[in-house]
Amino acid sequence: MKEQLQKDFDNTIKNLTLSQKDIEIKKFYLDNFINKGFPNRREEDWRFSDLNQIIKKNIGELSFYSDYTSTNKVDTSVFVDGLEHNKIVFINGRIEKIDFDYEKKDQIEIIDQSETINKFNNNSPLCDLNSAFNNKSFKIVVKEGYQLIKPLIIYHTTNSKIWSKNINLRLNFELYEKSSLRLIDLFRDTSEKNFLNIFYNFDLKENSILKNYKVDKFENKNIKYSFNNIEQDKNSISETFILSSGSNFCKNEINCNLNGEYSSAFVNGIFSINNNKHHEIRTIINHLTENTKSYQLIKSVLEDSSKAVYQGKIFVNSKAQKTDGYQLSKAILLNKDSEFNAKPELEIYADDVKCSHGSASGSLNEDSIFYLMSRGLNYQQSIELLINGFLLDVVEKITDPEVKNLIKNMIGIKE
Amino acid sequence: MLRINKLNAKIDSKEILRNFSLNINPGEVHAIMGPNGSGKSTLSNILSGKKGYEVSGEVLFEEKDLFELETEERAHKGIFLAFQYPLEIPGVNTNIFLKTSLNAVRKARGEKELDAIEFLKLVKEKSKELKFDEEKLNRQLNVGFSGGEKKKNEILQMSLLAPKLSILDETDSGLDIDALRIVADGVNTLRDNKNSFLIITHYQRLLDYIKPDFVHVLMDGKIIKSGGAELALELEKKGYENFN
Repeated sequence: MKEQLQKDFDNTIKNLTLSQKDIEIKKFYLDNFINKGFPNRREEDWRFSDLNQIIKKNIGELSFYSDYTSTNKVDTSVFVDGLEHNKIVFINGRIEKIDFDYEKKDQIEIIDQSETINKFNNNSPLCDLNSAFNNKSFKIVVKEGYQLIKPLIIYHTTNSKIWSKNINLRLNFELYEKSSLRLIDLFRDTSEKNFLNIFYNFDLKENSILKNYKVDKFENKNIKYSFNNIEQDKNSISETFILSSGSNFCKNEINCNLNGEYSSAFVNGIFSINNNKHHEIRTIINHLTENTKSYQLIKSVLEDSSKAVYQGKIFVNSKAQKTDGYQLSKAILLNKDSEFNAKPELEIYADDVKCSHGSASGSLNEDSIFYLMSRGLNYQQSIELLINGFLLDVVEKITDPEVKNLIKNMIGIKE
Repeated sequence: MLRINKLNAKIDSKEILRNFSLNINPGEVHAIMGPNGSGKSTLSNILSGKKGYEVSGEVLFEEKDLFELETEERAHKGIFLAFQYPLEIPGVNTNIFLKTSLNAVRKARGEKELDAIEFLKLVKEKSKELKFDEEKLNRQLNVGFSGGEKKKNEILQMSLLAPKLSILDETDSGLDIDALRIVADGVNTLRDNKNSFLIITHYQRLLDYIKPDFVHVLMDGKIIKSGGAELALELEKKGYENFN
């Protein structure tokens, strides 16, 4: 892999206009990654999902260089109907379209950042890989007091032109005081066997609100890793919702720092997977000051030999009195070969806090199935009704009504 | 309509029904009374198709072998079980459930499925008859319902699905006098010369409101005595223990 990395790195650098200093920085990250390699099960955070093995098994040899010089045609048929929205379109890792048509132009700033400084306070090999190879990174700034009128959908699309490729994306978001953004990440893949490695950083200033809905719904054979770092000032709110379903492997990691008083973070998610899919959600919520709140609810429906992992950590430092932290995960295993792993962690250094966690897994209740079937529903209808009922309360946590309806339609919850 | 001939049922190699036989003709109301553990609920479960029993013998419903029909097919053909303990189904809206159920049954019977408006009109009408709080129709199925509300919901489903054979498994338990009367009215409304009922109960009380044509005493998995409505009164007086 080392030779491949070196060669692909040299090609990548050739196509970018970087200062010598930037090249040096990128090279530093490349060397870091070469030293560490892909994370494996020996690392605690990857205990349940050995990425090194997963890549070997699903992809084999990866290549890291992409030619971003030519444009791709945007396939408008992937756009969400019935919901007016702003758009950013990635095709095979290249930004093809940025469109904030519904917004006041002077209230949003898009800054082309070629700077490579690692803002993630994250020394994981995947962050190094991303820093070394990401093509262009953008910073999107929402100005003070501006609340976006329509949601922003980022389309992560890939097509059959790429194969066995690693794609690295990086975006920065800065939400100024009293601003708000609804962001939907929608994955549409017609490619196979690629590894997408996505890093987002969010800076939430006082009283700002971020709602990030990550939707990996559509069947595909790619491997995805997505890392959200969220920094929150006073009174800010972050709401993250993850629908984890379509990819062969997908790991979403949320690192949230509640730096300001009365800031709160909500992370809710659904695993709905089948076949041999393997999905994970890893959260770390850091309560770093007084009166902060976090809430997490994760529900899983696992078919065939699929495997889901939820590692949720609530950290409360000694200053963070009056912390209110909660996490709960529930899983339905539809097959004896399906597997759910939960690792809740509470690390608490303050004495006046309210923190709780819980986890439960089991199969569908046979008596409930019998009850529904005795009313004329067939087995499939009964199961679907029970599963939708099981998932409903997570979907109900989505505070944006338009997005809630969109997700309900995608999952097939009828009203 | 229903012919049970020498039915034996076991669960985990424990014999529950032994050589149980019973005939129910169209329009008849049969009551089965028996002490705890005599096999009453097993009988209703087997008739409506619950899995997990080892059975032998013959059960014919309208001359068809019942054991060849799946649970939902029995519902389509007109068998309805009012559960002793109706299940709470979180996240499933009662109205959606009722509509799905009714349309599944109507479709199987070759009748036109109801659209939302037709359905709502019907369900409102039936709820009113049963004094079932309409607001509950928008709640999650049986979640947070009182015992009485759950039982009324069973009778509401029964009256929507218009079954040929209704099995009421201890529907009277946990009901106050007013609810009991409402439930009985619901049954009596459906009663005609075609529809039949099998009423399973501990007590004679329900039979004051729903007059049975036949009463059977079930003990240790078989019927030990059959008679008319007066048998229930006799049973009430003597108790099960002294009944042989």
